[in-house]
Amino acid sequence: MPIDTTLIGDMYRRMSIARAIEQIVEKHTRKARISGWWHPGEGQEAVGVGASAALNGEDYLWYQGRGCAWAIGKGMQPGPILGDVLGKVSGATGGKGGGVPHWADYSLGIMGEGATLGSVYPLAAGSAFASKLRKDGRVSLANFGDGTASRGTFHETMVHAATWKLPLIYLCENNELLVGTKLTDVCPTADIADFAKGYGIPGIIVDGQDAVAVYEATLEAAARARAGEGPTLIEAKTTRVQGHYAGDPQNYRAKDALANYRDPLAVLAERMAVDEVETIAAEALALVQAAYEETLAAPPPDHSIIFKDLYYGQ
Amino acid sequence: MANNDKMETMLYNAAMGLGLAEEMRTNPDIFVLGQGVASGGWFGAEKGLADEFGSDRVVDCGICEAFEVGMAAGASVVGMTPVINLGFADFSLIAGDEIYHKLGKWRYMHGLNVPMSAVIILPVGVMGGAGPEHSNSIEVLGMHFPGLKVVVPSNAADAKGLMKAALREPNPVLYHSIQTLSFTRGEVPLDSDYIVEIGKGIVRRPGRDATLLTYGSMVNRSLEAATTLANEGIEVEIIDLRSLVPLDWELILESVNRTHRALVVHEANKTAGPGAEIAAQIQERAFYELETPILRVAGKDVPLPQQNDLEQACIPSVDEIVAAGRHIMSL
Ligand SMILES: Cc1ncc(C[n+]2csc(CCOP(=O)(O)OP(=O)(O)O)c2C)c(N)n1
Repeated sequence: MPIDTTLIGDMYRRMSIARAIEQIVEKHTRKARISGWWHPGEGQEAVGVGASAALNGEDYLWYQGRGCAWAIGKGMQPGPILGDVLGKVSGATGGKGGGVPHWADYSLGIMGEGATLGSVYPLAAGSAFASKLRKDGRVSLANFGDGTASRGTFHETMVHAATWKLPLIYLCENNELLVGTKLTDVCPTADIADFAKGYGIPGIIVDGQDAVAVYEATLEAAARARAGEGPTLIEAKTTRVQGHYAGDPQNYRAKDALANYRDPLAVLAERMAVDEVETIAAEALALVQAAYEETLAAPPPDHSIIFKDLYYGQ
Repeated sequence: MANNDKMETMLYNAAMGLGLAEEMRTNPDIFVLGQGVASGGWFGAEKGLADEFGSDRVVDCGICEAFEVGMAAGASVVGMTPVINLGFADFSLIAGDEIYHKLGKWRYMHGLNVPMSAVIILPVGVMGGAGPEHSNSIEVLGMHFPGLKVVVPSNAADAKGLMKAALREPNPVLYHSIQTLSFTRGEVPLDSDYIVEIGKGIVRRPGRDATLLTYGSMVNRSLEAATTLANEGIEVEIIDLRSLVPLDWELILESVNRTHRALVVHEANKTAGPGAEIAAQIQERAFYELETPILRVAGKDVPLPQQNDLEQACIPSVDEIVAAGRHIMSL
């Protein structure tokens, strides 16, 4: 079935917004400091946006914090994202957050990030377990990088999720790098999807530069999950265009590392009319620019926020 | 059967299980996960739960402590009340990230003020030959890391009452049952609304001469020591803290301001143990009320040996507590 053109336009819009945020944050960090590090997601936008498009609003997303395509894909506006990056009250966390993001909005099913990488696997299984008990038809998705597939929690969680047939999706963004280490120097397989065999679940490899491919694979995994057939591991092959963090000199990287890079925006644009592409891109840029200016004008949080949310009702 | 003042003698762990079962009857969001819980639990706390509530809500898992607590954190964020029994507090170190970063900080770091109910049962202390990796009293960790509540029931009635309070609490609770008390019996109220409020200590024995602050396994030894000291004319007030987070400062200070002497007794290692914090805060809050230095009687700073006699030599004995009582009165 050919994919709906409105959906393509919407994915293109979200990817353009994520890209515009990348560019504005990158520019910002060149002249001013932000709290923490921004982990650029340029080149990987099709994964977060494509997968989120296949989820329902109330499905649970537990993400890893490279870029912002997951948050934008699942419905967050640029304002709360930039607010946290710049440490302003307008941020999703009220300005407590920073470059390692903790954006969450439970009304959008954006459940948050664990910056000790690999910590979201069991959390996603927790919400999936809740859905199974409540029979609410929701799916939980745990997003992670290839380097994070070596965490013990990956295995502990999937052993149980596969046994109990939890409505869970593991979605790996394989950019072949963890900081400056090549995946294959520390992992016995170049394909994280191989691990699925041991759990008796499908392990699907998709082109992570193609939002439509990611969307379709996620849609199928979500349908399996909702039908009570259990978890799926999806591996999206992708490319990290920038450094590990904004400002990373990347001395570890070959000069021609990006020779075969395909921009996910260009890949998606091939399915669209030229004028639509241009209009959407211009609108995204304007939206993000306005949000950035509002963020700059917003105040930093009052120090009293230090004690907020530590305990319920506090 | 809500307002029922009947009592029944039962095992400490059974009382814990009774509190759990009563709450599960009224709250369908509670589920229990752990190694062996579906067949009644390693130490009997979950006996009968699977029969009554089914295998959907009383679930066995493999050896996967990080998963157990991590999934509890995820489930609690979406409104469930998971109960995880790790069997030994020692294993909580494997789930350190999940307990202290995820349960303790998720709400805070995402800035969304939602209830997060979860009860993590972490039995502490020696149990007779369990060795250095199965005998730790590491309840101080929950005091050090923000965002959690910490309870330490010292008898069967409290085991029930604190379990029920923990299950109704909108914050994650580390429930440190006491290994050595697991199979001791006590009178337990059958009232299904019997709650021991988190953050409230209790005077177990009144006394005018010194305040002895303790909890868990050392409550009974301290009471025994107080009887001996009373024969010598020394009246020690014994406070069972029951909760370590939050501490009942109203009760502690009222007592210390009256007796002007304070001792802290616990099984946990002395260095940087709960007593260090409690003593530091007493001197910050009531220094000019004190007649003497604050004394600590605590576990030795060594790994706990497996040999029974050596194990006991590492934790406070009744004699040591008596000696500390005499000593503080001589200062
Ligand atoms: C438990 C843990 N160990 C190490 C780190 C430091 N760290 C931050 S990002 C990163 C690389 C992660 O690699 P990968 O999962 O492949 O994701 P990518 O950075 O490629 O998006 C590391 C090691 C961390 N945040 N958490």
